[in-house]
Amino acid sequence: MSADAIVAEEVTVRFRPLIDRKPTLRRSLGRFRHREVEEIVALDRVDLQIRKGEAYGIIGRNGAGKSTLLRVMAYTLKPDGGAIRVHGRTSTLLQLGVGFNSQLSGRRNVYLGGLAAGLRKKEIDERFGEIVDYAELWHAIDRPVRTYSSGMFARLAFSVGMAMEPDILLLDEVLAVGDESFREKSMKAMKDLLQRAGTIVFVSHVLPNVAEFCDRAMWLDQGRVRLTGKADVVVDRYKETVRRERLQR
Amino acid sequence: MRDLWDRREFAWYLAMGNLKARNASTALGLLWWVLNPMLLGGVYWLVFGVIFDRGELEEGVSFLAYLLSGMFPFFFTQSSMTAGVNSIVSNTKLLANLRFPRLVLPLSALMESLVGFLTSILVFYLIAGPISGVWPSHTIIWLLPLLVIHVVFNFGLSTVVARVAVPFRDLNNLVPYLTRLWLYLSPIIYPASFIVDSTNEWVRRSAGLNPLVSILGLYRYALVGEAFAIDLASAFLNATLWATGVALLGVVWFIRYEGKMARYL
Repeated sequence: MSADAIVAEEVTVRFRPLIDRKPTLRRSLGRFRHREVEEIVALDRVDLQIRKGEAYGIIGRNGAGKSTLLRVMAYTLKPDGGAIRVHGRTSTLLQLGVGFNSQLSGRRNVYLGGLAAGLRKKEIDERFGEIVDYAELWHAIDRPVRTYSSGMFARLAFSVGMAMEPDILLLDEVLAVGDESFREKSMKAMKDLLQRAGTIVFVSHVLPNVAEFCDRAMWLDQGRVRLTGKADVVVDRYKETVRRERLQR
Repeated sequence: MRDLWDRREFAWYLAMGNLKARNASTALGLLWWVLNPMLLGGVYWLVFGVIFDRGELEEGVSFLAYLLSGMFPFFFTQSSMTAGVNSIVSNTKLLANLRFPRLVLPLSALMESLVGFLTSILVFYLIAGPISGVWPSHTIIWLLPLLVIHVVFNFGLSTVVARVAVPFRDLNNLVPYLTRLWLYLSPIIYPASFIVDSTNEWVRRSAGLNPLVSILGLYRYALVGEAFAIDLASAFLNATLWATGVALLGVVWFIRYEGKMARYL
């Protein structure tokens, strides 16, 4: 077994979105032959090495490619170039409540979300009590999820995500939800994960969180790696640059 | 394929969840499972049985039984296609976040339609029994192999439309018209002889190319009985060939495209 959890080599992702110009009949018909596209390089030869037991932060402006990079790590987006290797069972919390159906009860959604994430029904049966305990939602578990507050929804979704007992946790800006006590709880859950040699990759705009929680960090800028290193150092340099750019304008 | 089998529970929960959610906020709830095919059958019966006044197809053969034993299986194919065409494009959140064999989604859509269809078979006897005296006979044993073939056929169709709808969303708008055309080109609201005796050469040819002709014929035989006798061997052969062909084409084509799907969402 290697000590690396995630290794990326020269990962490149390009998107070719359709351009939404004022539609004319000629353009609409023309779309059949050559669609008007503009290529966007979302990730440009990104190298990355994340070790086991490490919390790794990814920061950068909106549209820098942070979420795209997470999707590549989650294997839901195949890179156009380069290679990615992920060692271990991955749980993704890129968006909360993936696979949930808001019309259905919390109980039903624990199963839906868990099965979607890759658990088996039996495993969910066994862990069901734990999940609901953790989310502190026994009083509302049989209510449709659409009646939940956003905090309750987030708690349930996070609990389901952690129930996978992942080796690797991919998080996209989801810690910002839930009340103070739940945030502490989720912090603790993640520290436990790190302790048993789990890995956390963490995309956030809450810079103090990244500096405090992560060991190392990467700063992405327009799809390119601008800097990697110790989390607090990267965060400081990033903050400095953003401030300087704002002053220049 | 083994991944897909591992994820069968997911597909099933997704299907049942969607079924439940659809009726979650209606007053009658799950009763709609039975009501839907009943009302549907009722409407077509009113139009073609009462207004067009076809009490009996031939001596002793009820038109109602003929109509519904073709209509309900057709609606299974139709709903597999409508659910299939949306199965990928309406689940972008799942696709963006989680890794699983994408075939789970059309499979789940198919399960959803299948549950509806099985209920409608019961409804068929609930209507045709008291009104036309049609009850299950010994021919019903053919229903099981037929169901298997039909399910495979529908799965193939549903993967094809799911695959095509990803880069070509326009299919979403087209499917209702395609299925309606198919409904009118199949012997459902009129007897099969209409097509065979048609003066239009293209209409006659279409029957040979329409897999539903065999499939619906088999259903009529299985559900109603000897009144709708059919050449079992050749109909089963025809249906099996179509089902295998469409399913193979659909599944292979779908899987080869799987990696690219995320780009279009």
